[in-house]
Amino acid sequence: MVTATKFQVRYRDTIGFNADQGGRGFHLPTDMVIRDDGAIFVVSRSNTVALNIVGIQKVTLDHEFFGQIGGYGRDMGDMIGPTALALDSEGNLYLADEVLQRITVYNRDGDPRSMWGTVGDGDGEFDGPSDMVFDADDNLLLVDHKNHRVQKLTKDGEFIDKWGSFGDGEGEFNLPWGIALDPDGNVCVADWRNDRIQRFTSDGEFLASYGSGGDGDGEFHRPSRVAVDSDGNLYVADWGNQRVQVLDADGNFLQKLLGEATLSKWSAEYLDAQQDEFRARSTFQEVFEVDTDDKHEIAARIEPYFWDPVSVVVDKEDRCYVLETSRHRFQIYERVV
Amino acid sequence: MTLTRTREDVGLIAHLLRRAGFGATPDELEAAVEAGYDATLEGLLNPVDDVELPLDLIRRYFVDQSDLRNQQACAAHWMYQLVRTRAPLREKMCLFWHRVFATGASKLIQGRVVLNQIDMFREYGMGRFDELLLQLSKDPAMLMWLDNQDNHAHSINENYGREILELFAMGVGNYTEDDIKECARAFTGWRVVNPDYMSIKMRNNTARPYGYISWQFEYDDEDHDHGDKTLLGETGDWNGEDAVDIICRNEATARFIARHLYHFFVADEPGVPQWPHVEPRDPEAIRAMVDAYFESDYSVTAMLRTLFTSDFFKDEAARYARIKSPAEMVVGTLRLAGGLKVPSYDAYAAAATCANMGQALLNPPSVEGWQGGEEWINTGAYVQRVNFASSTLDDPDKPGVRSIIDRVKTSVGGGSLGPEELVDRCLEILGPIETMDSTRQGLINFASKHGDVSFADDDAAENAEKSIVAVIQIIVATQEYQMV
Repeated sequence: MVTATKFQVRYRDTIGFNADQGGRGFHLPTDMVIRDDGAIFVVSRSNTVALNIVGIQKVTLDHEFFGQIGGYGRDMGDMIGPTALALDSEGNLYLADEVLQRITVYNRDGDPRSMWGTVGDGDGEFDGPSDMVFDADDNLLLVDHKNHRVQKLTKDGEFIDKWGSFGDGEGEFNLPWGIALDPDGNVCVADWRNDRIQRFTSDGEFLASYGSGGDGDGEFHRPSRVAVDSDGNLYVADWGNQRVQVLDADGNFLQKLLGEATLSKWSAEYLDAQQDEFRARSTFQEVFEVDTDDKHEIAARIEPYFWDPVSVVVDKEDRCYVLETSRHRFQIYERVV
Repeated sequence: MTLTRTREDVGLIAHLLRRAGFGATPDELEAAVEAGYDATLEGLLNPVDDVELPLDLIRRYFVDQSDLRNQQACAAHWMYQLVRTRAPLREKMCLFWHRVFATGASKLIQGRVVLNQIDMFREYGMGRFDELLLQLSKDPAMLMWLDNQDNHAHSINENYGREILELFAMGVGNYTEDDIKECARAFTGWRVVNPDYMSIKMRNNTARPYGYISWQFEYDDEDHDHGDKTLLGETGDWNGEDAVDIICRNEATARFIARHLYHFFVADEPGVPQWPHVEPRDPEAIRAMVDAYFESDYSVTAMLRTLFTSDFFKDEAARYARIKSPAEMVVGTLRLAGGLKVPSYDAYAAAATCANMGQALLNPPSVEGWQGGEEWINTGAYVQRVNFASSTLDDPDKPGVRSIIDRVKTSVGGGSLGPEELVDRCLEILGPIETMDSTRQGLINFASKHGDVSFADDDAAENAEKSIVAVIQIIVATQEYQMV
């Protein structure tokens, strides 16, 4: 008799802290990547008031904090509307900025080395770069989201290929957001306003589409990003539904995560230093019955839940990281089965 | 049957659209005139088709309008809705209740809960007043704003009990100090979930460790004083719902709300603290709205219908007799220019301008809100107004400006318009705005520098557009444009 093994991931840890006044933590982060040496880069977009935290924060899985790369501004290395991070095979860090309409390249030490980008809809031009990933040939696959397409560029931004146009048919997009590669080198795109994930060959040939609008299992509301583990399972940041869904390699629903954050090391240290808050938190009922069905409002009321889970990444150990814009942290989940 | 609308009809309907909304574009005014006053008013009182904000786009591109913590982002969020709405009276009633039930983001450390309160006004603000007052009493922002989380069965905090009587429903002189205490007792146990932790975070002005937590109403029966209370002469084991019922049955409540409505929609009244000592400007108007309140089971819409169909509102003397609030100025001008079609930083700039003019949305100066009237105008604020209006209407390609140009062009036909005719035509299209003779002469002198306008050829048309835009900009800089 063959017994099917049921897929399951479970909560492991939370890293983060609301650094709205700068310092250790993040503020309204929009993307993260993990380098081969374990360095984790998170980019904070912040708001119009707390500009000193706009930048790329470098941390580790052990809650170490190594400061910030870049800052708010238009100079080389700085940013205004950061949307996405990517790493090439050498560990150079690429940052997309949808306000400045440019890609900035930092070396492994975090020093800015170049920047490029021309706004437009011609080959190699883009309008609103929203996510990026490097393929096995070290070419950059870039979601050119307001042009509703994916472009393949060299590391220096030279045009190679493109696919997609506005629409809801196969291979068409409506303001796509995230992009990831599966173990076979195929390309998965979070087709944001079409409420689905599309999969393509590395040349842009349509392979499959998963999901439709809704909040049931396997349905999405404005999925922002997708990640793929070594078995080909898809982890979808179901942003509008304030959850993460896991699908198998064929797109079948496996599991959904709502978030179960605990106090990060930085948060615990903060509360240790704020005894009045620490004492009040001892009676804090984190999860309670809410009187609304508005998912965004529920996420705003229940602290452990995901609130704006904008990005999901999988590391080489197949651990899943969920980055939450409005909670300034990421939660880590690991495979049990 | 063809109805002929007179200039008087146009002026009256334009007056309604300014007061019960944010003014009208020429196309909107034309449609309203075609529909007639009564039908236009019913459309305002019973909006059925409002715009849905593209929340997904807003939250994606403006992440601070997703967590909605900081007040600027929240004000921009509301500003966008104010400019886009197809239910202008409903939004204006949100502004009205925001002024009467003034609740400020600065103390609460998060704008979101104040925006949630505005959402509540949008839902209940034109319904029954007792339902609105009950929702207000359960509103998390209000509860924390007035410290009701500290109002316990054995240790009352009088803040909410006092303000619901003094500032929200009845006014000084209509209750006693004992009533305040008894009212506070009725609201013991009305609080938000996790009151201790939420209070500390608010007091420490911190959104750490993981951002703020949006508040939810909670009633704790064990913390409620179940003893008998005597409120406004009625005795029983009153809870908050009972207190609201007792308050809303009282004629002073109807008078108080009526006077606020008169002040907001008809003509300036003195500040609320003076109301016990100064008779209303128009006692008969107040009486009519009080009657409507009781005849309709406390319906705010019924009071508004009485107001907007009354002679005291329609009277020519009432027109252009109030100074526009900053919100009316900013929202009205943006709507005249064609609105804000997509989420953008323009909404932040508009909200900031409104604040610079003296009305920071979601952050009133105190629990007494904004007095308004002449207090809206000082030298700095006037300069802000003029700069904002003229810069907003500076581009002939903005749809609202283009519409005005097209109407002038139609008037010109194959001929030309002299300065006097051009000024009069623009005043007509923009309002109609009635000016003092000296203002009109000043405008004509200004227009004379541009010469006659015609669209005879491309060069003439280009010059004509520039002239028309310049005249529009100078009209919105006049003191008459500051009036509503």
